[in-house]
Amino acid sequence: MKISELRQDIFRPLCLPDPDRDIRGVYMGDLLSWVMGRAEEDNAWITIMSNRNVIAVASLISVSCVILTEDVTLDADVLALAEQKEINIFTTALSSYDACIALYRMLNE
Amino acid sequence: MKELSLNILDIAENSVKAGASLTEIRVTEKDGLLTLRIIDDGCGMTEEVLRRVTDPFYTTRTTRKVGMGLPLLKMEAEMTGGEMTVTSRYVGDFPEGHGTEVTATFYEDHIDFIPLGDVVSSITTLIQGHPDTDFLFDHESDAFHVTLDTRELRGILEDVPLNSYEVIMWIDSYLREQYEEDPLS
Repeated sequence: MKISELRQDIFRPLCLPDPDRDIRGVYMGDLLSWVMGRAEEDNAWITIMSNRNVIAVASLISVSCVILTEDVTLDADVLALAEQKEINIFTTALSSYDACIALYRMLNE
Repeated sequence: MKELSLNILDIAENSVKAGASLTEIRVTEKDGLLTLRIIDDGCGMTEEVLRRVTDPFYTTRTTRKVGMGLPLLKMEAEMTGGEMTVTSRYVGDFPEGHGTEVTATFYEDHIDFIPLGDVVSSITTLIQGHPDTDFLFDHESDAFHVTLDTRELRGILEDVPLNSYEVIMWIDSYLREQYEEDPLS
């Protein structure tokens, strides 16, 4: 599934510098060092963390996108960094748990 | 990180890589504030490097494009209402008295406080991996005062390497016993 195929009424794009990325799997976690060691390339990463370290971890792993849950957004400078590092960012009103379920359904449609 | 002891390991490894002959790891816990200081006599950092040291996209590593050690420690400190500062004297500017000091404070009663964890294992891992480097570990709270200085051990052991199995096991026991001692007894 391509990033651009995500339902944007549920996952609202904040920055999409690389919309052709595929989503292969999902990882949910907020402890950045833990995510660094476990998330995989092309995963959609679900988190509530929103500082610039998120962009660094996303870049390091090369996740296909970061999905911020519970309406978390990014400050303008962090968003600009995400754009510069070509990290796709979405936000959603869903909880992390519900976002996982929604993604599971979309990935298996 | 899951435990601050892993941050200690990470930062102290940087000290060793910076050519430190002595790395001090000092932890104090007083009135709900945990202060972690890692002080080394390595090559230090230039002002340019120092300015960028908490930027995760700045790293001296060549194996990957981001450096997360100090940015993560800073984030973990700030999550509790604490802070992290780094001061450094670059060897090029200070041929004598060069080195780096990282200080991070954590409010232990904050819900996002990450526990210190198994700091003894971090210390023994450092000594095991770098037997020719000296480490001074000092952890003080109202309940205990744990200390180890490998320079003293080196004097006693003479030619026995610090990372020999028996020495590492002894250091591990020595530190753990100090944690268990009752200061009032």
